[in-house]
Amino acid sequence: MVKIIKEGTFGPGEAIILLGISNIARIFLSYPRSLVEIGGSAAWMTPLGGLAAALAGIYLMSLVLKKSPGSTIIEITEMVFGPFIGMAVNILIIAHILEMGGALFIREFSEAMLITTLRFAPISVIDAVFLAMGLLGAYLGIEALARTARLIYPYILGGLIILIFTLIPFWNFHNLLPVFGKGPKEVFLLGTYSTAGIAEIIIAGVIVQAMGGAEIFARIGYRSMLIGFAFLIITLAVLVLTYNWPISEEFTLPFLRLARTIYLGRFIQRLEAIFILVWVFVGALKIALLLYGAAVSLARSLKLPDYRPLIWPLGLAMFILGLLPLDMLAAIKLDIVYLRSFVLIPNYLLPLLILAVFWFKGRRERAGS
Amino acid sequence: MSILKKMLSIITYQENTSREGFVLEETADDRQTGQKAGTSPERKAAGEYGEPEAVHGREERAPAGRRSFKKPVRPLNKAGDKSQKIKNSSTEGRQADQVSSQAKGEPLINELSVSSSLAKNRETIEELYGLPDNKDIIVRDIVIGTNPEIDGFLVYVDGLVDKSVQDLLIQALIIFAARPAPQDKGKLALYVKERLLPGNQVSTQSRFRDILDAVNYGDTALFLEGCAEAVLVETKGWEHRAVEKPVIEQILRGPQEAFGETLRTNTALVRKIIKNENLTTELLKVGARNRVNVAVMYLRDVANPSLVAEVKRRIESIKTDFIVDAGMLEEFIQDSPYNLNPTILATERPDRAAASIVEGRVAIIADGSPFALIVPATMYEMLQTSEDVYSRWQLGTFIRYLRILALYISFLAPGVYLSVVLFHHEMIPTELLLAIAGNRERVPFPSVIEVLLMEISFELIREAGLRIPGIMGTTIGIIGALILGQASVQANIVSPILVILVAITGLSSFVIPYFSLAFTLRIYRFIYIILGTTMGFFGIALGLFSQIILTANLKSFGVPYLAPTGPRTVGGADVVTRLPVFFHEKRPDYLNPREIIRQPDISRGWLKQKDGGKDN
Repeated sequence: MVKIIKEGTFGPGEAIILLGISNIARIFLSYPRSLVEIGGSAAWMTPLGGLAAALAGIYLMSLVLKKSPGSTIIEITEMVFGPFIGMAVNILIIAHILEMGGALFIREFSEAMLITTLRFAPISVIDAVFLAMGLLGAYLGIEALARTARLIYPYILGGLIILIFTLIPFWNFHNLLPVFGKGPKEVFLLGTYSTAGIAEIIIAGVIVQAMGGAEIFARIGYRSMLIGFAFLIITLAVLVLTYNWPISEEFTLPFLRLARTIYLGRFIQRLEAIFILVWVFVGALKIALLLYGAAVSLARSLKLPDYRPLIWPLGLAMFILGLLPLDMLAAIKLDIVYLRSFVLIPNYLLPLLILAVFWFKGRRERAGS
Repeated sequence: MSILKKMLSIITYQENTSREGFVLEETADDRQTGQKAGTSPERKAAGEYGEPEAVHGREERAPAGRRSFKKPVRPLNKAGDKSQKIKNSSTEGRQADQVSSQAKGEPLINELSVSSSLAKNRETIEELYGLPDNKDIIVRDIVIGTNPEIDGFLVYVDGLVDKSVQDLLIQALIIFAARPAPQDKGKLALYVKERLLPGNQVSTQSRFRDILDAVNYGDTALFLEGCAEAVLVETKGWEHRAVEKPVIEQILRGPQEAFGETLRTNTALVRKIIKNENLTTELLKVGARNRVNVAVMYLRDVANPSLVAEVKRRIESIKTDFIVDAGMLEEFIQDSPYNLNPTILATERPDRAAASIVEGRVAIIADGSPFALIVPATMYEMLQTSEDVYSRWQLGTFIRYLRILALYISFLAPGVYLSVVLFHHEMIPTELLLAIAGNRERVPFPSVIEVLLMEISFELIREAGLRIPGIMGTTIGIIGALILGQASVQANIVSPILVILVAITGLSSFVIPYFSLAFTLRIYRFIYIILGTTMGFFGIALGLFSQIILTANLKSFGVPYLAPTGPRTVGGADVVTRLPVFFHEKRPDYLNPREIIRQPDISRGWLKQKDGGKDN
């Protein structure tokens, strides 16, 4: 397969951090609240099943990618399903989900910004600023994004660690009881279903060549998933420990609430404004990565020599789609009901299907010989 | 019609060919270690097929090098394939001369050779130099006192030559040359060079281009009757500054010499420090009109050959008429001229240039400029001074961390202040909030106007302090700042807290050792003021994200600008934390030098002896 798109390259460390940061973007939104709703006092356990599923997803994807080293999931899909169905699958499933993910993330991050700092700003302005950052990041390419992720992760990590440690005085370990919260069925089944839907597996499949190929794909994938889920689990645990689960269910943005709770004497208190920096960095990286993924997967599906002409139209579409939901609740609902379910298809179903086709082809060949 | 075409060309897609930047190749060692670690299949394939394939493979995946806001029309982009372009580039300088001389209807000086007729040579010289109007070109007829006597004439530029050397030369030719002349007049020049002249550098040339270059650079040319070659004697001796103390990069401990305006002195200053036969000084000519000599200095056995080739390729490809300072050259050869950050380091310290050369970098010194350009340069190097290494390592490390703090304060402080005051009051403890509010109570302006007023006045004072002649410049600057600060507070135009803020910001920007970077941060500061005022911390975050991603994307001669942190490479002992010198075992990995080891793991032999106890 001729490689048509020029991408940069970066090391495994940068790839792990980039995907990890992209994965933790959801903890800044109202997503943890929905998990507390599912798990109650055992909210921190809900991502465990999702983590197992994500690791399995990475394993499946790595198996698929190893079938044709040097190609990405886009070329493999086309190879397996033929030029027409393959292209349709690529555009309708992969490019579509990344584009929609970007649109919803733009909207949710903008709403979060409105709630935290700029209460009177029009949503379109904040949306446009996020879009501008996304456009810049996607235009400069995956290599610049990976480097940026590598440069800013100490601040993100440091911010989260400060948050955890400064909240220790507020912790009450009784909040974690009962151990299984609303029941093992909810915690593990429903929890797995709602945490396994992450965009990073399919993004990793799209940018696999820039990350260094299929060989090291699994290693990068596992570690980034562990990082992302570890942060989610820690945040959920800190949330339930600090406020108990019935109160945590009430917060629109649980992370903001936690940052606001910090009180280290009269001089150092209410540090949520500093967390805005971390927040915006993560959001911008996530949006840029999704936009890049959408543009590259579309360009690869359409056999274009460069992805960059697609960035502007896709970005504009993201902006408009992001503005379509009536309010924040509608956006969150779309995220939970539509996006998190739909993303399971390219993450888990598509690789399974591809592997099945490979298996059938192999069997037929063996039978023929 | 043309407008329509232009508009169509704006909206139609055209592949940007200029994005393939120069990428510094990894050395063979690196590739091997990379393969062991299990890298991409392409990289493996590249290694198997040898160097040319590897280069090709890398280029295909090469990251976007420079992205220009407006694509500049570069001669290399115009036509022909890449290899041909590189081959052609060495002759392009000459072609530029031809073009300019043809345009004026002058004879093609490059084609002109010395004739065996003295009268014809004289005529050519007079025509080329525009004599007799051109008064500082001296043509002196002499008769060489050999047997038989030979007619000849000397050409030199008055003021550029050393009169005493000139006298010796003329004496030697007229008085002390009493010996038989050779029969074959064609070999006269060689005879004069070998037997008659005492000058320290003597050569023979037959092309007028070379002869004029030498004469314009202070040499004396001797033309002889019947000989189709001219003798060039080195008689350089113009007025110049002595080696003085550094002005911009002052340090307390370490050598106190600075580069001057004379190229040879500058190269000698570097060579004086690096006493090594592998130190190579290549001379290239730039500028069709003033034909400046540019020295490219590197260590043959350390610097990456592809880096040296790239430096020479960029310098040789420059087509311009006039270059007088390294700053102009810098703009011609740097990777991302549209980005605010400088990607080339200019230094006036020979010791710094020497240290960089020993690390595997290349120094570029233009004649007439007291600054050497160091490539490739990363941002971390721009935050270092030579003193960090000369003083004790604890002090060096402490100062570097202080500088990093100053870096952030210098461009972020006013913007963050504005966003806190305008958007995030809750962050400020109540007492401080009341203090700020109390101070601001009588000030009639919004905070942003206050900050802008003070910042702009500060910039004015700084600029004025620099331009006021003589020693009173800095004094007036400081007094002006004090009076302005004091008076503006008393007049209730700004609040006192703001004066403190602007003063700290100003101090911080003076802490940045590399002035180009300090200028960059001054401009960034105003951008952050606007962002902080309009969107608070959200705006600051927007600015930081954009700045980080744009800066992380920069390259300096194939080396990422934020190496070794973005991308992460082997850190080394001298990035921000300056470990003791006996830990500096390796050269920077991102430079991919030919020889990466600087010193063995145990560089302090005396420790080993004492521990072993066998030698005692």
